[in-house]
Amino acid sequence: MMQFGIFSVGDVTPDPTTGRTPTERERIKAMVAIARKAEEVGLDVFATGEHHNPPFVPSSPTTMLGWIAARTERLVLSTATTLITTNDPVKIAEDYAMLQHLADGRVDLMMGRGNTGPVYPWFGQDIRQGINLAIENYALLRRLWREDVVNWEGTFRTPLQGFTSTPRPMDGVPPFVWHGSIRSPEIAEQAAYYGDGFFHNNIFWPASHTQQMVELYRTRYAHYGHGTPEQAIVGLGGHVFMRRNSQDAVREFRPYFDVAPVYGHGPSLEDFMDQTPLTVGTPEQVIEKTLAFRKYAGDYQRQLFLVDHAGLPLKTVLEQIDLLGEEVVPVLREEFAKGRPADVPDAPTHQSLLAAAHDKQAHDRQANDKQPNGKGGEPAEEVRTA
Amino acid sequence: MRLVVVSAGLSVPSSTRLLGDRLAAATAERTDAEVQVVELRDLAVEIAHHLTNGFPGPRLSSALDAVTAADGLIVVTPVFSASYSGLFKSFFDVLDRDALAGKPVLVAATGGTARHSLVLEHALRPLFAYLRAIVVPTAVYAASEDWGAEGLAGRVERAAGELAGLMGGLRGGLRGGASESVSESVSESASESASASESESAPELTSASSSEPVLRGTGAALPDVVPFAQQLAALSPSRGA
Repeated sequence: MMQFGIFSVGDVTPDPTTGRTPTERERIKAMVAIARKAEEVGLDVFATGEHHNPPFVPSSPTTMLGWIAARTERLVLSTATTLITTNDPVKIAEDYAMLQHLADGRVDLMMGRGNTGPVYPWFGQDIRQGINLAIENYALLRRLWREDVVNWEGTFRTPLQGFTSTPRPMDGVPPFVWHGSIRSPEIAEQAAYYGDGFFHNNIFWPASHTQQMVELYRTRYAHYGHGTPEQAIVGLGGHVFMRRNSQDAVREFRPYFDVAPVYGHGPSLEDFMDQTPLTVGTPEQVIEKTLAFRKYAGDYQRQLFLVDHAGLPLKTVLEQIDLLGEEVVPVLREEFAKGRPADVPDAPTHQSLLAAAHDKQAHDRQANDKQPNGKGGEPAEEVRTA
Repeated sequence: MRLVVVSAGLSVPSSTRLLGDRLAAATAERTDAEVQVVELRDLAVEIAHHLTNGFPGPRLSSALDAVTAADGLIVVTPVFSASYSGLFKSFFDVLDRDALAGKPVLVAATGGTARHSLVLEHALRPLFAYLRAIVVPTAVYAASEDWGAEGLAGRVERAAGELAGLMGGLRGGLRGGASESVSESVSESASESASASESESAPELTSASSSEPVLRGTGAALPDVVPFAQQLAALSPSRGA
């Protein structure tokens, strides 16, 4: 089935209608309240951003996700995004394997580069090497999760000799990885090469651009032999503010929109809604706009909504999640299922990856039995969902 | 052939636009080029929104596409504070960095006094050199007094002749070669190191052919991408070995 969830940037922004700025502690507590609410109303995923500069609070994602894991039962915990450029891949391997065990497998990650220039030198890196850092660090991360003992030498990090990343991934199955990118074809190519997921954070982009990036990923996914273009694993963002009556939604959201750090003082709310996935209106309007994503991105696996930024108070945000859970997502589940080809895979989970790994083992054993000289032992093909 | 005029004139009518039109007409006489004019005045708000939001509105988007697809370009700005206008610069700031690579460009400017004429050499020519455009040798400056004096017509004709010559000449030869070498320089180091590391046992690196050229996806609209194995191989510390 398709997954629906919330992704949060974690910004601390003054509420423009009251002038009040929440404390960092309030914002952190609000983020975890939002995650718990997402589970309560039947959503599937909560993803936190990772930032190392004000006005953002989530610098330590696995601490936050570990707390949420202990207080939820079903929710998949993810990131949007994990900085594969400035974090040490060894620490990512360790932290997220630990989280995976504590959360009983309810963990995946979305890799991103980060576009804040100064963060790179603060962590000893150079933003001009962003793509290369993403490529080398992720290649190492994959090995750390898949090989018990790693000898490695690269361009950006101290070499490793005889290193074992602990804990080993749960059931020997590493967390599923998405690669998030807005406009770098190299990252779509990377996701396609490995058969990983590709998340296009389309919330500030016109449909034509999203379509181009997703199509590139799908084409290259098929090129690398992971399946048909339609079977590639795609995620999209969305950005909504809802009230029962669309005029009420616009009236209430406009002051937040007009001064929001990311799009305030720019195009009008109406222009923005026209040109990007932003929907300010009724739950029915959100349903209509979100269903239209399929027209240009194809059948996809994960839909994340941004609902908690621009200084919106927690109470209002929780009301948004109630509306998503009660009115929007049930209809989206039903409508997206219609006409979805049977061979388009569900969003990968720990269970589906584990089952695929078992199938592959059984298949390899059979192949080896048939060929006593052991020719069936192909080099480790990547575990994918069926 | 397509000839695009980018005019940053602000008033209507504008002497900047007038100079652009005269240069375009003189160039069109020498080529079979269709002329399209991009008036930055009409795009000013979309350009500002692009700067703050990161994506172009529909009209700016089609203007950027037209400039990118042009076989030749005439760019004309009024002189503001001893340089090109901010609007003129902002348009080229939001244009893709490689959009003008290898493209013939005629630079022109207008001003109230002839004292600013070297703006073309000190400001416009370096800007378009940075963008790897091929700037024609004659740059055309029109001060107010030039519109009633001898000389402007001759400079317009000379510059148009140079632009027309480059558009015709580059289209079959130099221009194609130039854009090829642009792609090559992107993948050059990657493909070199991919072949260097082929002798080593790295199954992931050899799963895609290292001699694969820079790819264009199936749809013409898909962006170029260097095959992943080449990207990865370029980072191998043993690539010098």
